[in-house]
Formats: sequence, structure tokens, C-alpha cells
Amino acid sequence: MSAVRRLIRSRWSIPAAAGALILASFAVSGLVGPAPAGALPWADVLMIAAAMVAGTPIVVSAVRALRAKVIGIDLLVSVAAIGAVVIGNHWEAAAVTFLFAIGHALEAATLNKTRSALAELVAVAPDTAIVLRDGSQHEVPAASVAIGETVLVKNGAKVPVDGVVEHGAGAVDEASITGESLPVEKADGDQVFAGTMVTAGVLQVRATGVGADTTLAHIIHRVEEAQDAKAKTQAFMDRFSAWYTPGIILLALALGLIMQDVVLALTLLVIGCPGALVISIPVAIVAGIGRGAKDGILIKGGEYLETAAKIDVVAVDKTGTLTEGTPQLTDVVVLDDTYDRRRVLALAARAEAGSEHPLARPVLEAAAREGVPAAGLPEHTEPVPGKGIVATVDGRRVAIGNLALLQAENVEVDERLATAVDRLAAAGRTPMAVSVDGRPVAVLAMADRIRPEAATMVAGLHRAGVRRVVMLTGDAARVAAAVAAEVGVDEVQAGLLPEQKLAAVRALQAAGHVVAMVGDGVNDAPALAVADIGVAMGAAGTGVAIETADVALMQDDLRKLPQAVSLARRTVGVMRQNVAVAMITVAALLAGVVFGGVTMAIGMLVHELSVLAVIANAMRLLRRRAAVERAKRVESPRPVHTPLSPSSVEATTLSKEPS
Amino acid sequence: MNTHTTLRAEGFSCPSCVNKIEKQVGRLDGVDDVKVHFASSRIEVDHDPTLIGVDDLVAAVGKAGYTAAPSAF
Repeated sequence: MSAVRRLIRSRWSIPAAAGALILASFAVSGLVGPAPAGALPWADVLMIAAAMVAGTPIVVSAVRALRAKVIGIDLLVSVAAIGAVVIGNHWEAAAVTFLFAIGHALEAATLNKTRSALAELVAVAPDTAIVLRDGSQHEVPAASVAIGETVLVKNGAKVPVDGVVEHGAGAVDEASITGESLPVEKADGDQVFAGTMVTAGVLQVRATGVGADTTLAHIIHRVEEAQDAKAKTQAFMDRFSAWYTPGIILLALALGLIMQDVVLALTLLVIGCPGALVISIPVAIVAGIGRGAKDGILIKGGEYLETAAKIDVVAVDKTGTLTEGTPQLTDVVVLDDTYDRRRVLALAARAEAGSEHPLARPVLEAAAREGVPAAGLPEHTEPVPGKGIVATVDGRRVAIGNLALLQAENVEVDERLATAVDRLAAAGRTPMAVSVDGRPVAVLAMADRIRPEAATMVAGLHRAGVRRVVMLTGDAARVAAAVAAEVGVDEVQAGLLPEQKLAAVRALQAAGHVVAMVGDGVNDAPALAVADIGVAMGAAGTGVAIETADVALMQDDLRKLPQAVSLARRTVGVMRQNVAVAMITVAALLAGVVFGGVTMAIGMLVHELSVLAVIANAMRLLRRRAAVERAKRVESPRPVHTPLSPSSVEATTLSKEPS
Repeated sequence: MNTHTTLRAEGFSCPSCVNKIEKQVGRLDGVDDVKVHFASSRIEVDHDPTLIGVDDLVAAVGKAGYTAAPSAF
């Protein structure tokens, strides 16, 4: 397209031409003064020309709308402008059409900005994929890849499908899905998502989801549904504007006929345009939900934004949410001088090898981490349900478990053993005593590692205006209390069954709180469903969570939760401000017309300004706030298991380098 | 045999566009249902592809004064 044609087709060309004609008209009347009788009144001719340039598209649009039996804003402006020309108010006609045209162009440009988050998501979807078929590479449309086929993704290219890395290694920028800009390392067996970008290496990916069945498509779908879902406040605004415009038209007709005042009637038509009223809420919702999507926070709709802004209690599941959900060996307390740490680990690893005991994996991992050689399986293992295991290792009888197991093994529980077990339990860890041939030699302890960002999340929620953070857990009270102290939650309810979690949420709601529940969505499903806002963590890759949760956090990152709450609060704030602007504009214009002073041109100017103010206000939501960025940088994982004080027992923790 | 087509439009600036497009597209032969979403500027059409193709839908939206393009999802 040539530059000239682009200029003509640009949305700014019509307002520019009309504006130039208006200026020319002013120049003529200023230089020449009133036209002498009999000569062509050039100033008026130029004004009418300006009105025609700016007004023609409006009239065309009005006629189209009428053909579709819609009385739109275009019709009001057309009637007002034509009426103004007929009664000789050329300047008014030109001003109204010019302001409307330039306002409209600005609105279109800025409204598209508020939708930019969604447009970017759609643009992220890759069009083509390189498929390996019979050993050769074929470039095909991304949607035509079949499930199970292998696609090749080269450095710098977008992943075209959801899939699993079959071969290769690399780094992937997953910002389009999770909002996290740091690239993630990917190796064989790792999940990758369509629309993410390989920033290093080459990956061969086996497709598990294509086209409309990718995480990206689910996100886009979800964002669109959310943006279109109407909030309660909007239903009211829609009702209001539904009667406002026809009401004003009738009023204009009646006043025009009764008072024989055409100017008043036309002015009323201009201010009958329901501009800011209708879009005040949708722009805020579109911008807020779009902003969230960019940050990996999916909110189900305007209704949920309004509820999320009112959250004052957040209920959090412990295991897998505040903690990583995979127990780690934390302590090795040696009680017998003939043993040392490595020997205890080797013995325990050998005894636990191949067993289903909860301690098996943490012990084997710890032994591997400390370079203790794995010495094969025990001759014999026997699980003792609820107590531990008893194994035969090199002819010796090794028991690992709680004190009940050791008593059953006739081991004498002396004071050192009892103290060690007690202290570890008090610190919120799960102690396991180890005995060899009836003599206690050590106590091992494991704990579920607290996520490094858990404390940051709780502090962030408090900052975002949440009054109480409540931990709901099925775990024992001592363990729960230790985690709670570490993380800073306000309240702990431990030992809960899933249905009791639900009852706890209900009780909080009955006390008048708006409750958000955060969980992994598996055993918390009932509580998530009954909470005012159910939050699913780490939803990327699970289409179900994306489609069903009220708020889905794409990344498994707790810090996104305070971000979501404050985004909801800011969006609702913008909604309220916009409604106020719209209502005040309507009231002021009506008063201005009734009491005089508001002409057609002023009416149109105020109207357009109010629309643009509402859009500009919503666009504030799209800007990333510096505070969010700062919060992301501040985070440095603290050591989560502080060693017990040396005065207790000669405790050593795995967080230290083995000496 | 009906298909469901999603078009993405640009430049919805006021909710009256919704009625305009719904009426313009809705009265075409072979269109069973049309839903226009203002906020996300999407147009969803249920139509009979033997009577009316995606290009015709785009043209109809164009006649109402808006540019639209078909979308995969």
C-alpha cells in the first residue's frame, strides 16, 4: 500500500481533513470578515464542507444501523448535525461532527489497546510446525499436526504444540503461558506448551495437544469468556443506558415541539449519546483480565473480579501448597558412638531399599546426595503398618520407625532417644528411630520442605488487604504449627478431613467473611468449590483447572496470589471511578442544557472527553507496576530448615555441606 | 451438517456494533445463530457451510462496517 493510500485509509485522515477545513473557515472569516452581500460566503461554505467530510461516515454508519433496525449513537449525531446545518448553525454542525470523528478515532485506537493482552495471546499461537515424518522434516500448519507425532523445535522458534520433550535439551521462555520471563530448562520427559519460545538448544517434542486443545488455546478461550462475562455492576449500567438514550430522544422531541426550540432539541440529542456509560465497566474488565492473563493469572470474569476484590480471608492447604509436598530427610541424630552419620545413612538406605515406607525415598535421596554408596537390597524386609519397617541387613536386625515400633522390638527407650525424638517432633518434623539388634543407634527426621516463597505470599496478602490467612490441613497439629510459625499465617486448623475443610470454609463464610481457598484441587476440591473464590495453583498444562477454577495461577508460584488479589482490587477501583465519571458527565450535561450554557459543540466535547477519560483510566491497569517487579526481585529463598540448637543433641542437618 | 466459525474483528468501539452485526449476519441464508461478543470483539456463527462459507460471513461483517478474520479457535 502506498503512503498516500495508507493516509487516506488511516483512521486519522477524516478528522484531519475536517479540522483543516474548520481552520480554513476561521482564517477566511478572520481575514476577510463577513462576506459582502451577493458574494459566496466562503467561511460558511468551508464549515459546511468540514461537516460533510466528518459527517458522511457517521451518516453512512447510521443508515447501516437503521437498516439493521438499530438506533445508535451515529443516528443521534447525524440528526443533530443535519439539523444544525438546516437552521444555519454551520459551526456547530462542523464542531459536533469533527469532535465525534476525532473522538471515535481515539476511542478505536485506545480500546484496541485495552484488548492488547488478548491480541498478543492470539498472536503468540504459532502457525506452522516442523514435523518429522519418515525421518525427514516437513513444514505443516500447526493445527494439522496429529497427536503422537514428533515436531522439531529449533533455537529461536516457537513451540507449535503442547507436548513432551522426547529428545534434546534446551531453555524455553514460557512467559506467554506463565508470565514468568526467566527461561525454564527442559530435558527429556518435560512438558512444553504451544506458544512458548525455545531460547537455547533444539527440542524434539511428541505432540500431546494441538490446535484448540493446547494450554494456550484454553487460556485464550478462558480470557475471552471472562472478558465477555458481565459483572453485576454492568447489568445495572446496561439497564440504565437502555432507557437513558430513548428517554433523551423523547425528551428532545417533546421539548422541541412544546418550546419551539430546535437548538435545545438538537443539543439534547447530542448529549443523549450514552458513550461513557456503556463502556465504563467493560473497558475496566477487559483491561484487568488482560493484565492478569499477561502475568499468568486467569480470572473467570467480571463477577469474580468483584468478589476477589472483597476477599478478607484466605484459606490455604498446607501440603503441596505452602510446602513442596515431597518430604526431605532433615536430620540425622547419632546416638551410638560406634556409628557416624555416613554409616547410619548407609544402614538406613540399605534397610529401606525397595520398601514402600514413607521414609524410603527421602533416605535414599539423602544417601545419594551425600555420596554414600548404595549397597543393594536387604536380605529381608517386613513393613509394620503404622509403625515402620523391620529389615535384615548383613544378618543384623534393623528397625526403623516410631517409638511404638522400638517398644515392640523390645528396645530400651533411654532418655537420649526420647529427648531427640521429642525435640524433632516439637520442631514439626517426623522423627524415626533406628535400632540395630535391639540397640538404639540414631534418630532420623523428615519434613516436608516449606516453599521459599510461602512467607512472602502471606506477607503480600496482608499487604493487599487480606485480614486473615488460615491454614487448613489434615496433618498433625505439631507439624502444622511449626509450618505456620515459619510462614506467618494467622490461624491454624489441623487434623482436618476433606469434608471438615469444607465445613471450616463454610464457618468462615457464616462469620461474614469473603473466603478464597487455595489448593491443588485434588483433595481440596469440595472446599475449593464452596469458597467464594477457588484458586488453583500451577494450572498450566491442566485444561480442566484453567476452565473451572475461579482464579487459575498458571505458575506454581505462591507470590502470584497477592498479585491476583491486588489486581482485582485495582480493577474494581477503576470500575467504580469509571461509573462515577460517566454518571457525573450525564448529570452535568443535563444540568448544563437545562440551565443553559451547554451548546451542541460543548456537549459533544464533554461527551468525547468523558469516554476517553474512562478508557485512559482503564489503561492504567495494563501498566506493570514497579512494585510488582520489585517484589519479584526481592525474593531469595531462605534456608527453610534451621538446624536445632546444638544444646539439644548433636544434630546435623542436610542443608549443610557434609564435612 | 452445521459448523461453528469464530471470527475475530477489529475496532468494536461501542456496543451498538453488536446489534448491527448480529442483524446483518443473522438474516443470511444458512446462518442459524450468530453471537457477537463486544468485550473480546469475537463473532461466533453457527452456519451451514454448504449454503454459506466463511468468506461470505467475513463479507457480511464487512458490509456492517467492520473488518474480521476467521480464527482457528
